[in-house]
Amino acid sequence: MKLSKKKGNPEIPTSSMADIAFLLIVFFMVTSVFSVTRGLEFQLPRQENTTETTAEEAVHIFIERSGANCSFTVDGILTALGDINVYLQPKLARNPNKFVIIDPAPNAPYRCMVDAFDELKIGNVKNISIPTTAEKAAWGDVM
Amino acid sequence: MNLKIPQRAESYIPTASMADIAFLLIVFFMVTTTITVDRTAVDLPTSFERVEVPKDAAVIAIDETGQVFFSNGEEDSRAISTQDLLPSAAFIMSKNSLKYFLIKADGNAEYRFIDQVMEQLRQAAVRNIAMLTQQEAG
Repeated sequence: MKLSKKKGNPEIPTSSMADIAFLLIVFFMVTSVFSVTRGLEFQLPRQENTTETTAEEAVHIFIERSGANCSFTVDGILTALGDINVYLQPKLARNPNKFVIIDPAPNAPYRCMVDAFDELKIGNVKNISIPTTAEKAAWGDVM
Repeated sequence: MNLKIPQRAESYIPTASMADIAFLLIVFFMVTTTITVDRTAVDLPTSFERVEVPKDAAVIAIDETGQVFFSNGEEDSRAISTQDLLPSAAFIMSKNSLKYFLIKADGNAEYRFIDQVMEQLRQAAVRNIAMLTQQEAG
């Protein structure tokens, strides 16, 4: 009796491995959430040596809600958002450290404050101040 | 005459390295992605100026109704009242006084909510704040 064994080539099936891996990639891509990591930087003043600014030497931007949009009142004059820099630049040319106070009304939308802040950043204003309601109360009637 | 039929070489596509390539891509994406600590759905305001902010910063999310969510940058964010923000922020500042605080507020939220949050941060002696924005078009 002759037992002839046919030797089959031993093989690990790896063809589906790539499919599995790509499936995992697609799954992770779909489930991952893109996080926003860019924005506007702002530094709060140090507590110990709070820079004293008086209303006379600072530019005061008051933001109010008007309908769906906002109105910007710069030093008492109603100004369009794009004209804020037109008003500010001559003052900044004289004094680059000019203080600008952003003072949004409590019911104004947050995006209007960001719009004004963005304009000041574009205009290279160094000293931007956004006083909180408590700070304004401490300042008294200067605002 | 003996005409031998030429033996055909078996043709195949080499797919063994395909899996390696795919797993390499997985590892690459896993390393480069940062895990989001805050998943509050907000409609961010837009701005032209945008700077990159540190990745391990604490996140304060404010939705349209004024509800505040807070994350110290490691744990997932949780709902918090404005008053509780001060001790949380002060604790972070005691460990790292240069820590960045990201304000991720909805553009349509009323400013008084942001004002309250800013006041708490000011009392906690926070220095570095960044307001997250979207790129403004045009």
